[in-house]
Amino acid sequence: MALQWTNSPLKVVLLEGGGFDLEPEMQDLYRGDIVGQPYYPLQSARLHYFGGTTNHWAGYCSTYDPIDFETRDWVPHSGWPIRREELDPYYARAQGILDLGPYEYDAADWVKRDKDLEPFALDKNKVWPKMWQFSPPTRLGTKYRDAIVNARGVHLYTHANVCEIEANESASSVDSLRVRTLQGKEYHVKARCYVLACCTIQNARLLLASNRRATAGLGNSHDLVGRYFMEHLEMPSGELVLAKPESTKTKMYIMDYGVTKARAELSLSAQAQKEHRILNGTASIEPGVIGEPIKSTFQFLPPQLIAATMAWEKGGKVGPPPLVAPSPSAESAAVKTPSALPRNFHLITRQEQAPNPNSRVTLGSEKDAMGMPRVVFNWQLTELDKHSMRTYYKVLGQEMGRSGVGRVQLRDWLLSDDRTWPSFLSGGWHHMGTTRMHTDPKQGVVDANCRVHGIGNLYVAGAAVYPTAGSANPTLTLVALSLRLSDHLRTVLA
Amino acid sequence: MTMTMDRRRFIEVTAAGVVVAVTSWGCAETPDDVRELAQPALLEMFGAERTRAIGTAYRAAVPTEQTVGDLHAAIMGSQRRWHWGKSLDAQVHDDFEVGRTVLVSGWVLSQTEARQCALYSLSA
Repeated sequence: MALQWTNSPLKVVLLEGGGFDLEPEMQDLYRGDIVGQPYYPLQSARLHYFGGTTNHWAGYCSTYDPIDFETRDWVPHSGWPIRREELDPYYARAQGILDLGPYEYDAADWVKRDKDLEPFALDKNKVWPKMWQFSPPTRLGTKYRDAIVNARGVHLYTHANVCEIEANESASSVDSLRVRTLQGKEYHVKARCYVLACCTIQNARLLLASNRRATAGLGNSHDLVGRYFMEHLEMPSGELVLAKPESTKTKMYIMDYGVTKARAELSLSAQAQKEHRILNGTASIEPGVIGEPIKSTFQFLPPQLIAATMAWEKGGKVGPPPLVAPSPSAESAAVKTPSALPRNFHLITRQEQAPNPNSRVTLGSEKDAMGMPRVVFNWQLTELDKHSMRTYYKVLGQEMGRSGVGRVQLRDWLLSDDRTWPSFLSGGWHHMGTTRMHTDPKQGVVDANCRVHGIGNLYVAGAAVYPTAGSANPTLTLVALSLRLSDHLRTVLA
Repeated sequence: MTMTMDRRRFIEVTAAGVVVAVTSWGCAETPDDVRELAQPALLEMFGAERTRAIGTAYRAAVPTEQTVGDLHAAIMGSQRRWHWGKSLDAQVHDDFEVGRTVLVSGWVLSQTEARQCALYSLSA
């Protein structure tokens, strides 16, 4: 967002909590208690230095679907105050910032480029090929560091942790920010308007902790700040066996990390979502052996492996990367057809989580090195989440059978239609929703322009404002929304 | 036995420990159409072992479809058009088209092919 202001006559102060590299003491500020569903260590799930979590993101990008913005009567608390069309021009701009290809997410556009990209012959009213593009992945902190540091209009301060948003007496406006360093130095920053872009959990934490003028925290008159935390459920959930592997092209769906520019996932149509009254979701496919153990996202990338991979990348990518795709087992080789084309594939879910007010971030009693209360993280799911996943695979199975493409198997843990989840329950490190967007202050923390309700000069940037999670990874949309916010602020500040 | 519309539900199968009395293939009448029915197209996709396991699981979950006769009658009863010349492949397609599917060992299968697997499990 700061990039939009590099040549502005207005002065922008960019307060970065960390420095230009990973520092354990900075990461420790993100540590918190996990009391709900098991989750990844919070201090490893987000990076607290310049460029933030783009310093270790994987680069998966896709747009949200029009239905993601709609109010769906079967999804409580759904509906955005903006429509997908309003984001289109910003999506197009975001593509360049993230080093993506053309703003084309229609499978037909990609089929034109490569005749081997051929979607399965499925009824698009049931299951359609949702396209993804892959950023290199762009490390925003590396790529844009010089642009920010040298910008005339942007003044960057590192190791500057905002510990309090200081509001006026009526808590209707922000007067200043109280900023601290780890060495205990403290100062105040004043501006005409303020944008919180600290990530979903930390945005909520900062608002809740800024409780001098409003005891429940700023923007929290209706007890919404920190609620509706959402993730994407990313888990191995099923298997696909192709009927005719020799004549079924799979290239469109297969991901070769670092090589593939775009691929499709098997996405449930809006029509099918309405008919079955379930959430939005997709499945990706990867070759494998039916029933073999397969790790969920959290299991596949433990914190140590992520750290090793980051070190390898920073060291110039010398030698083999720590993160190497497992080689196919002997069994995998055995199930291949004579033409060596794989017949069997694992199906990996990527599904939105239903907005849930009980899935939330609150403040604990323990304080961090800055004196700020640490978060208590309570990730909670609903019956609709699992029901949707189970139903998705039934619909997919029916459509795969009807079309003759193949047969689908649900994994054992998905067979029971209850609220239980397996031990490998996993998200995608996608944090969304603690300051949700809604036109009604009783239903949302920020308005359609991302301004905190009731506070004239305080805005939130990032996935914290998402009312629903969609099925796509959040980065492309949050960049688009940030560009939109930037344009809005130009108008406000003109 | 015909699986009626209101029974068009997904069948949860936990086959372990279930003992099923099975009419042996050799004792049953095996007209040509029964032999054909017992060769599901899924064999090519799944192989003999998995097809047999699915068939066994299906029989474990549906007590009224245990014998060659039961299964033959079930397929013929619900697939009259096949009897009049419609191909099994088309009937399987129709099953998926109208949602006449069952869940066996987690597999989303057409009702017809699930019964075929059951027949196969009796023949193998």
